[in-house]
Amino acid sequence: MQIRWILIAYAAVSVLGLMLLLSRENVYVVIALVIGILLLGHREIWSLVKYRRMPVIDERVQNNLTGAMRITGAFFFIASIVLILLLRFNVFKGTPTSLIVSGQLVIVGFVYVTGYYYYDRVRPCLSGKAVRWLRICLITAGLCLSTIALAIVLHNLVSAWLGFEDAFFFILGLLVAPAVLVISLLGCAAIYIKGLCASFSGVEQA
Amino acid sequence: MRTRMKEYRARLGLTQEKLAEIVGVRRETIIFLEKGKYNPSLKLAYGIACALGAGIEDIFILDDEQV
Repeated sequence: MQIRWILIAYAAVSVLGLMLLLSRENVYVVIALVIGILLLGHREIWSLVKYRRMPVIDERVQNNLTGAMRITGAFFFIASIVLILLLRFNVFKGTPTSLIVSGQLVIVGFVYVTGYYYYDRVRPCLSGKAVRWLRICLITAGLCLSTIALAIVLHNLVSAWLGFEDAFFFILGLLVAPAVLVISLLGCAAIYIKGLCASFSGVEQA
Repeated sequence: MRTRMKEYRARLGLTQEKLAEIVGVRRETIIFLEKGKYNPSLKLAYGIACALGAGIEDIFILDDEQV
């Protein structure tokens, strides 16, 4: 019941936000919020369209929603800090801030859906070994992202200190870490899709 | 944890859908419970046991190392 109220409160705040942003002509953010709401409420919308009723929110769904919200909250927090830093150093030169915020909102919605399906479908269908590999791939991807940022800073620092172009951090930040990042993300996607596609062998026809 | 839900459900001639409706959960929850991939709360376990007309200990069996 608490989850349902959170969803209703979220929808109410979103509608108010949309009206406010529409009045300020921030079209990108409005589009992103609409996509975000559709992503977040896809279960409810699908159930209303197909069965003409709200889906049952049982204890397993509540646990899944809580897990997905935790992941989304953590992602939103980290993404906001990174975005603020990038905006502070003027990395997105010439790009409208509303477009950047829109991108963040859509990605947050995507992370929520991915997180929800991870708890709902993927994790129960995967073996313990596959879950461990998924964690390893995710941690590796996170480390690679940090390495890229660190290598860029260190490359500039070392180059300024030595007086000539540093090669080690350049290769690490622009070749090695991105390559490992792509491999680990592909690994994550492969394991996730494998779990998602695993059929429910216990399903009986109603 | 092992369950004998399928066995008791078959005895009563209930489908997963029907049992889910009686207990007030989603069908997927019944599927995961039957496959032993979800540990229910005491409240849900009690509800399922009542719906199947048996005791909790008859339906849900903990392995020795989990006790």
